[in-house]
Amino acid sequence: MDLVTYPFLFIALYFEAFLLLTFLSSPAREQRKNSTVIATATPKVAIIVPCWNEESTVAGTVESLLALDYPADKLSLVLVNDGSTDGTAAAIDRFATHPQVTAIHKENGGKFTAMNLALEHVGDAEFVGFLDADSFVAPDALREIVAGFTTGDTAAVTASMSIHEPRTLLQRMQYAEYTFSIMLRHVFSSINGLYVTPGPFSFYRYAALKDLGPFKHAYLAEDMEMAMRIQRAGLKIGNALRARVYTKGPATLPKLIKQRTRWTTGFIRNLFFDYRDLIGGKKNAVLGILVLPLGILAIGGGILLFVFELSRLVEHGFHVASVAQAAPLSYAFTIHSFTWFYLPITFLTVAGLLLATSNVVWMSLGKNLSKTPGSLTLNVVPYLFLYVFVAPLWLITSVSHVALGTRTVWR
Amino acid sequence: MTLFARNSLLAFLMALTLGGIVFYTVDHFNRMRLAEISAIEDQISIDTLSLDTQFSLLAATPCESVASSTTLSSELADLGSRLSYAEDQLGSNNEQVMRLKKQYSLLEIRDYLLTKQFAAKCSTRPVTVLYFYSNAGDCADCDKAGYALSYLHTTYPSLRVYSFDYNLDLGALKTLIAITKLEGDLPAFIIDGKTSYGFTTLEDLQKRFPKGALATSTPATK
Repeated sequence: MDLVTYPFLFIALYFEAFLLLTFLSSPAREQRKNSTVIATATPKVAIIVPCWNEESTVAGTVESLLALDYPADKLSLVLVNDGSTDGTAAAIDRFATHPQVTAIHKENGGKFTAMNLALEHVGDAEFVGFLDADSFVAPDALREIVAGFTTGDTAAVTASMSIHEPRTLLQRMQYAEYTFSIMLRHVFSSINGLYVTPGPFSFYRYAALKDLGPFKHAYLAEDMEMAMRIQRAGLKIGNALRARVYTKGPATLPKLIKQRTRWTTGFIRNLFFDYRDLIGGKKNAVLGILVLPLGILAIGGGILLFVFELSRLVEHGFHVASVAQAAPLSYAFTIHSFTWFYLPITFLTVAGLLLATSNVVWMSLGKNLSKTPGSLTLNVVPYLFLYVFVAPLWLITSVSHVALGTRTVWR
Repeated sequence: MTLFARNSLLAFLMALTLGGIVFYTVDHFNRMRLAEISAIEDQISIDTLSLDTQFSLLAATPCESVASSTTLSSELADLGSRLSYAEDQLGSNNEQVMRLKKQYSLLEIRDYLLTKQFAAKCSTRPVTVLYFYSNAGDCADCDKAGYALSYLHTTYPSLRVYSFDYNLDLGALKTLIAITKLEGDLPAFIIDGKTSYGFTTLEDLQKRFPKGALATSTPATK
């Protein structure tokens, strides 16, 4: 059992150490320094909002875009209704007369088709961004993003996502997880180690996008596929640490598992079916030798550890329950005198505590450096207690979907 | 060397160092645990020797020492549970644990003999249980039996329970096993001199005690 646990604990310690060192290295320091300077240049930008059955959220999304601190003549919005069956068409048409907005309605064909169609309507924009219709942005987010295109070979810039007003325990867990992701994205973008340009508020240099070609179905992970395509082309993906975008996290377990299964199967399928050459690739060693192998290892290790630890827990639980039957139940709940002697100080618990503390520190840094609103203290508790039980569920579902060739669905 | 290569190498060294620190911390706590067990054993050893000496010195029966003997018995029980926890954490192959376990078993045997001497001289009827178990995976009911005995000892503090690892390589214990003519079926109990084997339920175990022994198991000095 320990032969399974200890190597993964060591890899986790290694990952945390690498994260810290890279966070303290000059590229990340430079990036943080640059992120304090708001862009004064205002190139032409188009933002595309693909919508499918988003009647309840799309208005908020568009309103937040129209409220961006950016010259109106330099910013255009393209709203695409991808054959919604609810009131999305009407919700979009409310904005159709706005001078900055172009509203398009089409037959349902999938998100990537909506994105590609919208790209035909962006005119002479220098940068093109996308925003999912369940997300909205902070007023200064676009200026932060534009400032993130620091070099000519930066093909895309990602934002710092967070969960908007988390209510359920699962949403709170996601809030903490997203603040950790903010740090991961910041640190790994500094060494060009990103493999996804998420739907909420990722931007592309339009010229680069035209060279790379249209979005693909990509197993419902078109944002991941495009990022891998950028990496294969030898271009860079940046990150704007203070470009805040807020999204709605799935509130229930089935919805969360469905979302994460889509992401994870998208990662596995894109990587193994279409971008296998990136693994181990020396062209981008960060991605090929560290990030992608660790991503694969995280899926396999997550499942393996969960299965082992769960079986150990169940076995121990049965044993304890069986032994407890040997005396009255009240005896099991008798409070015995407690001394430090019985503290469960083992390699697993101490290393686990170290890793959990380290993650909480990253989350706190992520929240503070990106100036993400909300309370981390309240949300980190569900993360620490729930994530280890919930994440393996979508990992197992994803691997079984890929193994069995099950088609992944959007919702 | 690229930044990535440098950070990778440093991260590897840092992970090794962190792993080492964690390992050292855990090892330090384990050594503190064993030191505490050793200190308790030393103390009990002194107390036992003191009682023994007191017993030998006094011409009159030192029946007033029975109370001290009972305290010793509960200290032994606490020591036993600490030792069991340490064995769980460090494994049955740990030499220091095994050494402390042997010392503990000797103390138990010594206390058992003293209790018998007190009983004879002071006309008391303490209820004693010699409990033999195995940690070698060949005794499915040993954990249950141990738990039931812990419950009985907690409920009836004057009940004297002496637990022995049947497989422990200790001369005195082998002699005890030989003179009690144990057959090797575990768990085995010698309750007030009567041998029985196996464990099913607490009720069944309680039936093996002398009638009324559990209800009135507080020592009665004449």
